[in-house]
Amino acid sequence: MLNILKKLAMAACVSLVAATAQAEPTKLGFIYPSPTGDVGWAKQLDLAREAVVKEFGDKVSTRVVENVAEGPDAGRVINQMISDGAKFVVLGSFGYFNDGLRLARQFPDVAFLHASGFKQSKNFGTFTARNYEGFYLAGMAGGMVTKSNTLGIVAAFAVPEVVAEVNAIALAVKKVNPDAKIKIVWVNTWFDPAKEQDAARAAISRRAGVLFSLHQDTPSVVNVGQAQKVFVVNTNSDMTSHGPDAVLASVTTDWAKYFVKEVGDKLADNFNGTDFRGGIADGTVKVVAWNKAISADQMAQIKQAEADLTSGKMHVFAGPLRDQSGTERVAEGANLPDPDIFAMNWLVEGLDGSLPK
Amino acid sequence: MTWLTFLISGTLLAATPLLIAALGEVVVEKSGVLNLSIEGMMSVGAVTAFIVVFETGNHWLALAAGGVAAIVLSVVFACVVLFALGNQVVSGLAVGLLGIGIAGLAGGSYENMTVAPMARLQIPFLSELPVIGPGLFNHPLPVYLAPLLAVVLWWALKYSKVGLVVRAVGESPESANAVGYNVVGIRFLAIMFGGFLAGVSGAFLCVASSTLWADGMVAGRGWIVIALVVFAMWRVERVVIGAYLFGAASIAELLVQSAGISVPSQLMTSIPYIVTIVAVSILSMDGKRVRLNAPVSLGRVYLGTH
Repeated sequence: MLNILKKLAMAACVSLVAATAQAEPTKLGFIYPSPTGDVGWAKQLDLAREAVVKEFGDKVSTRVVENVAEGPDAGRVINQMISDGAKFVVLGSFGYFNDGLRLARQFPDVAFLHASGFKQSKNFGTFTARNYEGFYLAGMAGGMVTKSNTLGIVAAFAVPEVVAEVNAIALAVKKVNPDAKIKIVWVNTWFDPAKEQDAARAAISRRAGVLFSLHQDTPSVVNVGQAQKVFVVNTNSDMTSHGPDAVLASVTTDWAKYFVKEVGDKLADNFNGTDFRGGIADGTVKVVAWNKAISADQMAQIKQAEADLTSGKMHVFAGPLRDQSGTERVAEGANLPDPDIFAMNWLVEGLDGSLPK
Repeated sequence: MTWLTFLISGTLLAATPLLIAALGEVVVEKSGVLNLSIEGMMSVGAVTAFIVVFETGNHWLALAAGGVAAIVLSVVFACVVLFALGNQVVSGLAVGLLGIGIAGLAGGSYENMTVAPMARLQIPFLSELPVIGPGLFNHPLPVYLAPLLAVVLWWALKYSKVGLVVRAVGESPESANAVGYNVVGIRFLAIMFGGFLAGVSGAFLCVASSTLWADGMVAGRGWIVIALVVFAMWRVERVVIGAYLFGAASIAELLVQSAGISVPSQLMTSIPYIVTIVAVSILSMDGKRVRLNAPVSLGRVYLGTH
């Protein structure tokens, strides 16, 4: 028995030496909560992975595990990746947070990037998109093109990220079209395409001619928009191919630059876990697939707002800002600070409906 | 489309897949077998139907293919519970998970794709009526076939010889066997029938009402089906009521929200479940009658006669 162990240990040493000599590619692992598919959140992460491969070539090798359920399964998959030699792991869902954090402590030489986590460490960085900036621009477009002066929002869950997006849309619409009304339908599910479609139809039956599909990963709402001839602003990917007439704009996330930088840091051995919040300014959030129904004049206004967001001249949640009950939340001349944006649990003045307490 | 039109049309579309699958499950449970794998069978039916529509454009062929694909899965379930004498609860869960997994795998390259919707029936005069026209008479044919099937099944289970035999097998397989019926064979056919309808139901959900495929799109409807059957006390007419009630409540919930009424949305989301449970429970309050209706040998392993 001891003999076998010795042999094994020697073999391990030899292979280790061989490995260093050949300069094996650094293994990168990517874990997504849903199948990569044609469009959607996982697709956007995977596009960034492709950018990493393109940038670093054979210095890296990547492995993807998609459709990993949040919970014990995630911990197992991450563990497996690390024991297969992964030195850099991208965790594509908030639900992998606890497992990721625990394994990051256990394996200090492995770098982690986690989607929308709220804690960081030396080898555990987090990334979040300022989607609300994109929805502000798309909201301007919605307020401009609406004929019925009614807009609908199909929203997943009332978590701060989505609430911030709802508020951004409302503020943008109010700015360009103060008479427009907004109907919000919370579906209270991250994933149920048939229900999302019913929610879209419900909003349409209330005369909404522009819909915002907040965090629906499939083209569910876009399909309804195409069939019923209403505009849709969707999240994550360009969905024009699913609704060539319907898509008013797509608020997409592009993680390529960020992933490339972080992988580069890891390869140079100076990775440091940070709290990355990408928005319009750094190109992480991009609004694409603008519909032709938006006139050149209107587009110019939107582009101006985009430029102002980029330069920092404008802030989506600039004061004065009141909530539904009329209480002042942001004073004149001030901007809502980041921690409050990412913990938003109130709707801006003028919106109907209520939030879970 | 006004909200009233949508309330009617949305209810019909949401209830149809539930009704189709629940009718199949009634027959399976009446024969004494508890089939918990509906979610998986619906998923397999959905993905098969999607692929068929995507490749051929034929929605009817897709519905049939979805049903047949789910039959294949139901045969696996039938073999496990009828020949290997597996525990019905555990086997049903396992086969259900298998179905969900197979569907995700088979649909991998079709993820988030879109197909054309199923053709809608245009009935002269009726479809042109205000409100009711687009609400009631402007849907794909299966929306109307489902309640028709319910009537047929109600009659068959109550009055036809086949129905009585199925029920006899579910009440007392030993007695049925003693008078010469092949218990295992009859249960096998009942499971296949239930599988077929579950498959058609998933297919309808996918290609007639949603027009897109995404892994997990059945989203728990298979479980609602099972709950409907139990709360309806295995009676076809109550399954019909339950399915349409659930459909109507799930649409009403969204309409209330979109009206801008300040009600917590989580409460609204739970309303279809609450309404259906309360309504069907009231119908089933009489404990004695529940016991009379529940198939006595439901969930029990039938060892046969040796």
